[in-house]
Amino acid sequence: MKLWYSFTKELKLSSKGFYFYIEILMAVIIITVLLVFIPENIKNISDEYLMLDMPAAVEEQFISPLLSQDLDGEIEIVALELDKEMMDVRLIESEDQRIYLIDNRDNLIALSKKDRPSASAYISGDDISKLTYEYYIQGYESERLQNLYMIIHIEDIMTIANLASNQKVVALDADYDHLNSRESALPALLTFNGSMMGLFIIAAYIFLDRQQGIIKAYAITASRVWQYLMSQVLVLMTVTTLTTFAILLAVMGFKANYLMVILLLLPSAFFFSSLGLWVASFFTNLTQAFGAIYFLMMAFMLPAIAYFIPSWEPLWIKFLPTYYLIQGFKESIIDNGDMGFVLLASGIYLGVGIITFLLANSRFEKTLTA
Amino acid sequence: MLKKMFTIFRRDAKVNTREFLTAYIMLAPVIFAIAINLIAPGINDTTVNLALVKGDDEQMVAYLEDFAKVDVFKDVAALEKRVGRRDDVFAIVPDGDDYYVLQQGNEVEGLEQYATMMLTFYQEGMRIEDSTAIIHSFDRTVPPLKKLLVNIFMMFSAIMGGMLIAINIIEEKEDRTIRAINLTPISRTAYIFAKSVIGITLPLYGSVVLVVFTGFRGIDWGQMMVLIVVSTLISILVGFTEGLKNETVMDAAGSVKMLFLPMAGAVAVAEMVGEKWQWVAYWVPFYWTYKGVDSVLTYNANWGTTLLYALFVVIISIVAYLILMPGIRKGLE
Repeated sequence: MKLWYSFTKELKLSSKGFYFYIEILMAVIIITVLLVFIPENIKNISDEYLMLDMPAAVEEQFISPLLSQDLDGEIEIVALELDKEMMDVRLIESEDQRIYLIDNRDNLIALSKKDRPSASAYISGDDISKLTYEYYIQGYESERLQNLYMIIHIEDIMTIANLASNQKVVALDADYDHLNSRESALPALLTFNGSMMGLFIIAAYIFLDRQQGIIKAYAITASRVWQYLMSQVLVLMTVTTLTTFAILLAVMGFKANYLMVILLLLPSAFFFSSLGLWVASFFTNLTQAFGAIYFLMMAFMLPAIAYFIPSWEPLWIKFLPTYYLIQGFKESIIDNGDMGFVLLASGIYLGVGIITFLLANSRFEKTLTA
Repeated sequence: MLKKMFTIFRRDAKVNTREFLTAYIMLAPVIFAIAINLIAPGINDTTVNLALVKGDDEQMVAYLEDFAKVDVFKDVAALEKRVGRRDDVFAIVPDGDDYYVLQQGNEVEGLEQYATMMLTFYQEGMRIEDSTAIIHSFDRTVPPLKKLLVNIFMMFSAIMGGMLIAINIIEEKEDRTIRAINLTPISRTAYIFAKSVIGITLPLYGSVVLVVFTGFRGIDWGQMMVLIVVSTLISILVGFTEGLKNETVMDAAGSVKMLFLPMAGAVAVAEMVGEKWQWVAYWVPFYWTYKGVDSVLTYNANWGTTLLYALFVVIISIVAYLILMPGIRKGLE
């Protein structure tokens, strides 16, 4: 009862504060950015610079299959800039690739050095089946990628591509859905907007109350310190839930699994807020705590890299709590998401959250009223 | 006047040193640089991740290791378990005399083509030694992702510098020392500048340390310093506006949070959005510092574009200052 009273009182107080409206404004901005400025499907278009040094008939044989993929089936003349001069080059543009045909080798090298296209090659020969490829790479490409460049033209590329496309591919889960560009941004955005910032915000809350002497006043009330701390956590959880749901509803409509979202959101917000409390308990004001919180926030951002680059996922990244939140949000909004993973993540957040809260409480009981 | 301003800076530095903040400020960029150095090569070192059955075809494992990161597992069940995990790993599974590629189903679209191609190379007996291709390298060793991380961390430092100014001001307000400046010989402008010094130090020092420790020592330091200095204008504006407008650190923390969105948006627009939509981020100063720093880190920058980008940041900051000036003045009264 006392907890409920503290919680509703804190909620009323924060709803009158500037911070509450910043959170709402932030949600509105995120929704606007996602819906207005981010296209549903951002195509990753790669650029290739090629120079074809071969008889016209062979060149035609080379270009013909590329041209069949071109958006309008015709070569376009466009200008590329080099040393403040514009030069005309031929362009073959498909849905996911722009191939620029450059007529001079020196220009090819200079442009490749300047523009860093995803591939650049000087291709020569009199026979389409015996062409020689000279690649220009930046130098940071992995040895494995360089080996791919070396081997890919040993046999006729079209034959190899056909053989590769006839390989049997089996999916463990054929119903797995893919998120569009807008939806893909959500797990990382929701993690940073809500739960992770909760860590920072709750610390600010505590320091504010400490400064205003509110916390000391608890020593002479019937309320316990844990009830005060929990009421702060509950306020943060409420604000996070409201803004997360607003963003999800606006972007995903009813496509997301809101049961999974809430199962993940509440324990994770509880954990991050408790962590914020625990960290705050070691300091007397926000300036002191700033370094530690800044550090944690930077570290907690790293799992976003693994989320956007799935081929990179070292073991250590799984020890960062935001990893499970980002991946859990992804499972919650994708069709046929993995409920087992979300439940496991929720359980871990709840368990570790309770321990962290108890630790924070024991530290605050010793220090707050001192 | 300078002496008085230095006294204010010294006071800020003293207060922050006492509270261990300086130690964090000094150490954080070094630690982040080490982290970036450790992370970046790992992200860049493979094309695709493959999983194979141990002892099934040792030759195939050795062959594929030239093209992909390969892990071996004791049986097909273990392969399935591995593929079923969250990251993108494809298994090449024995199927009688043949093989098939096993995927989870949620991988990045088109990535499975790497696995099918590599399997085809092996089955067709293609060998790197038979290649007539030649590779010429421009000998650049810094992967693009490393550059991206350094750039983002530099912008983050600018925001945090602003946050530090804001916290310092709010604490002055709470201690009721801010009004006292009216009774001292220092002018308001000088006070503003002096209070900014500690917040400028964070991005200045942080950016330089980060750039040096991540191995970008050969860049044009003149151009980089111009961009770092103009990015501190953002720190000052943010810090003063948030510090003077807000009554509590709580509100300031919430407001600064909002700055992460244009920062992330500017990077996203510069990196992922087509030319015709770039104007969307023109109003964000971070967009110009990001583009400028990116050119410097890629050793592509020239003084003309660097100064132009810096000028855009200065113009945006002046416009923002003119809009925010009444609030700042009021806050100081």
